[in-house]
Amino acid sequence: MAYEPLLLRNVGKPGSETIDVYLASGGYQGLRRVVKEFAPEKFVEEVKAAGLRGRGGAGFPTGMKWGFLPKTKDRPRYLCVNADESEPGTFKDRLLIEKDPHLVLEGIILSAFAIECHTAFFYIRGEFHTGYRTFAKAIEEARAKGFLGKNILGSGYDLDLILYRGAGAYICGEETALLESLEGKRGLPRIKPPFPAVVGLYGCPTIINNVETLANVTLIAERGASWYAGLGRPPKNTGPKLYCVSGHVKRPGVYEAPLGIPLMELIQERAGGLVHPDRPLKAVVPGGSSMRVLPATKCDVLMDFDSLIAAGSMLGSAGVIVMDSGTCMVWALLSLARFYAHESCGQCTPCREGTGWFVKVLERIERGEGRPGDVDLLIDVASRVEGNTICPFGEAIAWPVDSYARVFREEFEDHVAHGTCPIGATAAR
Amino acid sequence: MPDPTPPAPNAPDQVGILIDGRPVVVTKGATVLQAAETIGLEIPHYCYHPGLSIAGNCRMCLVEIEKMPKLQIGCATVASQGMVVQSTTERVRRTREGIMEFLLINHPLDCPICDQAGECRLQQYEAAYGAGFSRFTEEKVHFPKRVALGRHVVFDAERCIKCTCCIRFCDEVSGSHELGLFQRGDHSIIGTFPGRPLDDAYSGCTVDVCPVGALTLKEFRFKARVWFLKDVPSVCGGCARGCSVNLATYRNAIHRITPRVNMDVNRHWICDAGRLSHRALDERPRFESPRVRPAPGAGPAGGGPPPDVAHDRGIDAAADLLRAVKERAGAGGLAALVSARLTVEDLRLAVRALAETIGIPRLAVPPHEEGEDDHLLIRKDRTPNVRGAALVGPGAPHAGRVREILDDVTAGRVKGLVVVGEDPVGEGLLAAEAVRSLQALVVIDWWRSPTVEAAHVAIPSCGYGEFEGVFVSFEGRAQRARAALKPRGHVDPVWRILQDLGHRFGLAATYPSASAVFDEVAASVPAFAGLSYRALGSLGAALKVT
Repeated sequence: MAYEPLLLRNVGKPGSETIDVYLASGGYQGLRRVVKEFAPEKFVEEVKAAGLRGRGGAGFPTGMKWGFLPKTKDRPRYLCVNADESEPGTFKDRLLIEKDPHLVLEGIILSAFAIECHTAFFYIRGEFHTGYRTFAKAIEEARAKGFLGKNILGSGYDLDLILYRGAGAYICGEETALLESLEGKRGLPRIKPPFPAVVGLYGCPTIINNVETLANVTLIAERGASWYAGLGRPPKNTGPKLYCVSGHVKRPGVYEAPLGIPLMELIQERAGGLVHPDRPLKAVVPGGSSMRVLPATKCDVLMDFDSLIAAGSMLGSAGVIVMDSGTCMVWALLSLARFYAHESCGQCTPCREGTGWFVKVLERIERGEGRPGDVDLLIDVASRVEGNTICPFGEAIAWPVDSYARVFREEFEDHVAHGTCPIGATAAR
Repeated sequence: MPDPTPPAPNAPDQVGILIDGRPVVVTKGATVLQAAETIGLEIPHYCYHPGLSIAGNCRMCLVEIEKMPKLQIGCATVASQGMVVQSTTERVRRTREGIMEFLLINHPLDCPICDQAGECRLQQYEAAYGAGFSRFTEEKVHFPKRVALGRHVVFDAERCIKCTCCIRFCDEVSGSHELGLFQRGDHSIIGTFPGRPLDDAYSGCTVDVCPVGALTLKEFRFKARVWFLKDVPSVCGGCARGCSVNLATYRNAIHRITPRVNMDVNRHWICDAGRLSHRALDERPRFESPRVRPAPGAGPAGGGPPPDVAHDRGIDAAADLLRAVKERAGAGGLAALVSARLTVEDLRLAVRALAETIGIPRLAVPPHEEGEDDHLLIRKDRTPNVRGAALVGPGAPHAGRVREILDDVTAGRVKGLVVVGEDPVGEGLLAAEAVRSLQALVVIDWWRSPTVEAAHVAIPSCGYGEFEGVFVSFEGRAQRARAALKPRGHVDPVWRILQDLGHRFGLAATYPSASAVFDEVAASVPAFAGLSYRALGSLGAALKVT
C-alpha cells in the first residue's frame, strides 16, 4: 500500500503555499478543535501521549521539553521556531516553509497555545530568501483570517508571531546561539545550565522547536494522539518523518515515511537507487553531516532514533548522504572539516583550535604528505574535542572525524603510505 | 583516609560537597571552582575572573562530577549538597592536557621576548598540566602583532587565547564597550571598533585580566622581567578613593603599579592615571638637599639657584627665618598651607610643630578637584587623605581659608608662609610679586616645584613610594602605604622634617618612626582608637566615623 503523505500532503499542489489550498485540505481544523476543546496543559499532555520527538536533531520528546517550563507565570514565555536549517545534507524544513508554510504556522500557534506563550519568534536562516517571503505572506494571510493576533478564533487567546532573519551562521541553529542572535548579539552558544526553558530569550522561559516538529504538532491536533502514536515504530519512535536523501542516488530529494523505514528501502525504492550501476554503495551518513558515518555493511538499519543509536550513529536531522564506491573518504572528510572549521564560532578552545587542526592534517594527507600516525592523531584529537565544548558543535565535528577515520582507516592509511588517493578521486587537487 | 561522604552543611544557606575526597562546606551559590579555592585547591582556569561574569569558554576547569556523564566546567557549576567532584582523575588529566595542547597549537611560543613570561598562566599550566610537547606540526594561524588598541594597551593577537576577559571588563566593569570579538573559529580575534580606539579610563585593567601575554601595558613593555620585581603593598595617591595597589619595584625604581584586590575599596581595579602615577617620580625634577636663598647682599651677586646645604643647616635656616618674622610681625604674621596629599603622620606633625609649637595661627588645606566622580573609582577630589586632614590635621580642604591666607600675603599682612606638599606658585595661586613681599617662604616638597624655586628655604621630602604612612579615603577607610623605595639622597619623610623644625622651637616629643606617630594619633584621636600599623594590616580598616 502506497504511503499517504501527511507532512507533504500539499506539496506538489499548485499554490500549495497559499492559505486557500491549505484550508481546502482541512487546514486550521486542528487549531479550531484544540482551542475549543483543550485547556493548554491538556494539549501538552496530548503531545506527550503522541510520543512526538523533536525533529531538529536530538530527538528529545517535545511534550517533555514543554513541561520543563517553570510553573510560575510571572514572566512572559516565548516560543522560538528554529528555522535556521543549515546542517549539510538537510533540506526538509526549507521545503515545508516554502511549500506548505501554513502547516508549520498552525503547529506554531498550537504549540504557543499549549505553553501559554503570547509572542513567538520565527528565526529563519538568512539564505532562505524564498522561504522568508513565503512565510511572511503566510503570516499575513493567517492574521487576516483570525488565526493569529488577538482573540484567535474567538478563544480569547492572543498570539503575535515575529519573523526574524538570521545572517547565515551555521552556529545560530544551535538553540542558545539562536537566542543570542535573536537578541541582536553575536551568535555564540550559551553555557547550560540554565536551560532556555528556565532562562531563555531576554532572560525569560523559552521553548525552541524545530520547523518539522511543529508541523507534526498540527497532525496531532488534527487527528489525535492515539492515532499519531500508532504511526512509525511505537512506542518511542512515532509519527511521520521527512528524510532528505542526497549524494549518489538517482532521485535525491525529501521523502516522507513513517519513522523506522529501512535505510535501504529509502535509498533503493524511494530515491531510485544509486546513480552508477557499477559503483556499489560505500557509506551512508544517516542524519546530517554531524553524525557518524555508516559503512555499507551496516546500512541494513531502520531509520528511527533508537535503531540508529544502536547502529552507532544518530537520526539527527535525517539528512541521508549516500556515498558510492567512487568516493574518497579522506576528501569527503576534508570537505566536511573545512565546513566546520569555517563555521566554528570560535568561542571555546577545543572546537576553535581543533577544527582548524583537523583541516590542516587532512589537507596534508590529501596533498600526499601524510605521515604515519596521522590517522591516530585525528582520532585522538577528536576524542579531546568531543564532550568538552560549550555546545554540540564539538561532537558535530568530532563524530565524523572519528568515524570516517576509524571505519575507513585502511583508506586513510593508504593515502598516507602511498601519498596518493587509491580511489583515484582527484577532486581535491 | 579521605572522607567518603560529603559533609553536612552547618547552616541553611550552606552546602557540603566533596572535592577529591576532601569535605568542603560553602555558601549556596558558590561554584565548584570557588569551593575548591576555599580549601587551597586550584582548579586551573583562564577565562574565569572573580570580578567578571562567567564565560566558560577556556574549558580548562573541566572536572568530573558524580552522576554527570560529561565533564563539567568548575567555573559555572554551582555546588549542590552532596556533590562529589574529582579534579585529579585520569579523564580530567587527559582533558587538561588536551586543552593545553589546543591553546598552544596556534600560540607563537615566544616566551623569551614576552613581557608576560613569569606570570603567564599558559606557562604555569603547561608546566603543571601540559604534555610538554605538541603534536601540531602545521603552519600556525597568523595574526597581527603589536597592535595599539589604545594609548596604553598593546595587543599581540597571536598570543591571545580568546578568553574574552578584556571584552567582559569593558562591557561589565568600565562600561566602555570598546572591545569586541571579531571573525570566527581559529581566526577569531579581539579588537576595537572602526575609528573607536580603546579610550577607557581603566584600559590598563584589560592587561591585568589578560591571563597571557596578549595584552601588555605600553609603558611596561620590555622594561623589566617580572621575576625581578618585588610587589610592595601601597595605596594610590591619585584621588580620594585610595585604591589598594602594589608597587612593583626593581633597583630602587617603581616599574609598574597594579591593583591589589581589596573588596572594600577598589575590588580588582585601578584607573589608568593611578596605574601610571609613578612616572611622575621620574618626570618631575627632584632636589636632594635643602636649598637656602642667601640674604640680599650676603652671597655672590647675579641670582642663580640657591646653593644646596646640609639638612640641619636647612632646618636651621628655616627656623631662623620664621623666628625672625614671628619676632617682627608677631605670630599673626605667619600662616601655612598643608596638603591633604600628605599622610596622617605628616599631618599630625604639621599640627604639632607648625600650629602647636611654632604657634602659626592659621593652617589651611587647599582642595584639589578635577572633573566629576565617575561610576567606578575615580573621584573628583584628587587628595588621597581628605578625611585624614579633617580628622587629625588642620581640617578638611577649604578653598576659602586658603584664599584668605593668600590674600593676606598679597596685602602684606602675612610675612611668613610655610607650604607643605603644595605648589601655590605653580598653580597660579601665589603671584611672583606676592612672593617677593614675603620675608619667609619655607617650602617642604618632594619635587622642585615652582614654589620650591621661589622659596627662601626649601627642604626636600620623600616622594611617592619612598615614605610610609596612612591615608584615609573619602569613605573613611584608613590604609597603609608602605615604603617601596629608598629615598633619593638623604631626604626625610615630611613628618620628620616637621619634627626637626619643631625641635628648633622647643617641640618636646621625638618619634622614632612613622608607626610611632600613628600610635600617638590612635591614642589621641577617637576615630583611630585601637588602630596600629599591625591592626590596619594589608587591607586597612574602616574608621569609626559617620
